[in-house]
Amino acid sequence: MGAFQWLMKKITKVFGRSTNALFYTLLYREILKEVNNITNNEEESLIILREIGRRSASESCERHSNIFKFMPGNPKKVLDYFEILWVVVFGTELDDYTYEEITKQGSKYNDYVLKINKCPICVDYGHDLEDTFKFERIKNKETEGLACGLCGMLESVANYILKVKRSDYRIQIIEQACITKGGECLQFICKIHDYKEWKELLESSTKEKEIIRTYFKETLEGEEVLQETKLDIIDKLQDVISIDKLEEYLDEPLESIKEKVSDIIKDKLNMEPEHFFDYFRNYEDDMIRIIGYLGTHLLNEYGGLLEKFLKNEWLAKIFGYIFKQFKEMTLLFIPLDVIRDYNSLLVNFLDGLAPVEMVDNVKRFTGKDTITYIFEGAQMALQNLGIDFSELKDNVWEELKAERENGLISSETSTIDRTREKVPQIINIIQQFLMIFNDILTLPIRVLISESHYGLKTAINSVVSEEEGLYGSIRERFDNIFDQIQEIRK
Amino acid sequence: MNFSRKELIETEATMNQMRNAVFHLARLMEKNKIENSKETLRKMGQNIANTYIQYWKPTDIITLANLKDVITTIYQKVLNSTVSIEINEIEEIVNVRDHNCALCKYKYEDVEIAGCEILLGLISGLINLISKSTSSNTSLILKPHEVIESRAYGNKSCNQTFKYKIGKV
Repeated sequence: MGAFQWLMKKITKVFGRSTNALFYTLLYREILKEVNNITNNEEESLIILREIGRRSASESCERHSNIFKFMPGNPKKVLDYFEILWVVVFGTELDDYTYEEITKQGSKYNDYVLKINKCPICVDYGHDLEDTFKFERIKNKETEGLACGLCGMLESVANYILKVKRSDYRIQIIEQACITKGGECLQFICKIHDYKEWKELLESSTKEKEIIRTYFKETLEGEEVLQETKLDIIDKLQDVISIDKLEEYLDEPLESIKEKVSDIIKDKLNMEPEHFFDYFRNYEDDMIRIIGYLGTHLLNEYGGLLEKFLKNEWLAKIFGYIFKQFKEMTLLFIPLDVIRDYNSLLVNFLDGLAPVEMVDNVKRFTGKDTITYIFEGAQMALQNLGIDFSELKDNVWEELKAERENGLISSETSTIDRTREKVPQIINIIQQFLMIFNDILTLPIRVLISESHYGLKTAINSVVSEEEGLYGSIRERFDNIFDQIQEIRK
Repeated sequence: MNFSRKELIETEATMNQMRNAVFHLARLMEKNKIENSKETLRKMGQNIANTYIQYWKPTDIITLANLKDVITTIYQKVLNSTVSIEINEIEEIVNVRDHNCALCKYKYEDVEIAGCEILLGLISGLINLISKSTSSNTSLILKPHEVIESRAYGNKSCNQTFKYKIGKV
């Protein structure tokens, strides 16, 4: 699994509101039963449940639209990332499934069949007295199965991604086999249609439209046209930064990354890279500060998560202390050789892109200067995003002591207990971040050494294997951090 | 081989879409003139409890002495919610405050019902089923009373209340 696929899944899981999966499944069953109490017609109930699923997922997507802008806009790629769709909709890992491509003559895209051996919706359905929705009453063999609501959600998320990516294609997902209906597994067929075909398909499904109109007292919601509104930074970046493209960049050496950056500057800013960097000539220190500033803001653009995270006063303080710790540790404890490696990496990156005079000026900076400028820029960005550095004490322990003396933490026993329960998780998160920081410090020398022969990915995965190398180590630590955040959120 | 319901107890699922689905169902009920949708949601919770109890229960005996712990455990284990509970012994009312309700998050202008009506049915259902199986003079029966506040009504948290009765079931 790719790094960004993994990160996307983790973020979706950690920041979603989860419950016990049995409660989820039983609530799903009850919704279907209630729909059936309204329609008194099993076949129509399945169509309505699918529509409810579609509307529910679409509502969620609208609320978190930025996250989906980083997904690939190519319909085939969207299906390649089906695991993410599954996690977005259901929240658990999709395992034990097979994926088959069915050739479709005369069409740009083939159909795809997914066979999922473990269906979280069908589990033990029919064994309980409350499982009162009867599939036996349905005469039409073409109807979908119990997972039709889930299917509506998946289709809605997939098409929402294509819509925000301004793709001319849409995906139709149909439940072909259902365990409750006697199938061996949950089976979906995914068909890719161009937009015209898709509109025709929606127009032609008159029976479904009529049923939805009858019960929802409205016609099938047409897909709203995406307005050409003012583009935000993510809109501008989404053409070049999506999870599939980032995977490609990681596979390519530094030179290729430089080429890509050069293309972006030419395409998006309509100027030569040298001309662009020339603006910063004699202001190289500011340029490095801007890297720290923009880097931090770019991190926040990923769904605005950083800003949301920092809205909480306590989390903002914790983050502020971690940042201060990083800043001090870097300058106090990191060997100058390591810092120099980072500086060389920056010089290598600018070489060929920026004017010679500018590269020479950057070469004159010591590694310590570069790191200081980057931290200064990042601190400015974090201040914008909600950390009030002027309020931070010398260290986190003084902060905890002060809070207790001020009586700001509630005196209610249960609240104090709950706060205390969270302390080990918070300490663990800080510890994991420090370990990641140490891991990253070993990166530049690996990049420089491997640059001419291998890609950045090789550098990241160097040592033994993907699992045991730097990537594996960082991923394991982030896994741990996400687990701790999940614990705190409980 | 497929999952079993027992296995699902050890797993978590994201409620975001299902939470929205409850409100779409509420709209559907309203548009189709289903009367007493509050009771319908509570019945859904009760039905969930009827199945759920076969795979998990917090304890074997429920009395007034352990009622708070039992309710806290159900909210924590089933709904991943940490709640604060107050018991008014004079009026025989249990008051549960949930700041992170699994079924309510947003205020909808076109829906006048709280998703957590389902939880009133679920919690009382689970408690009554346990009490029925071990009926004694100290057994406790819980009845859904009212959702006083809800994030679905625009409040900061959900406040669910139950009426209780002690005695042989």
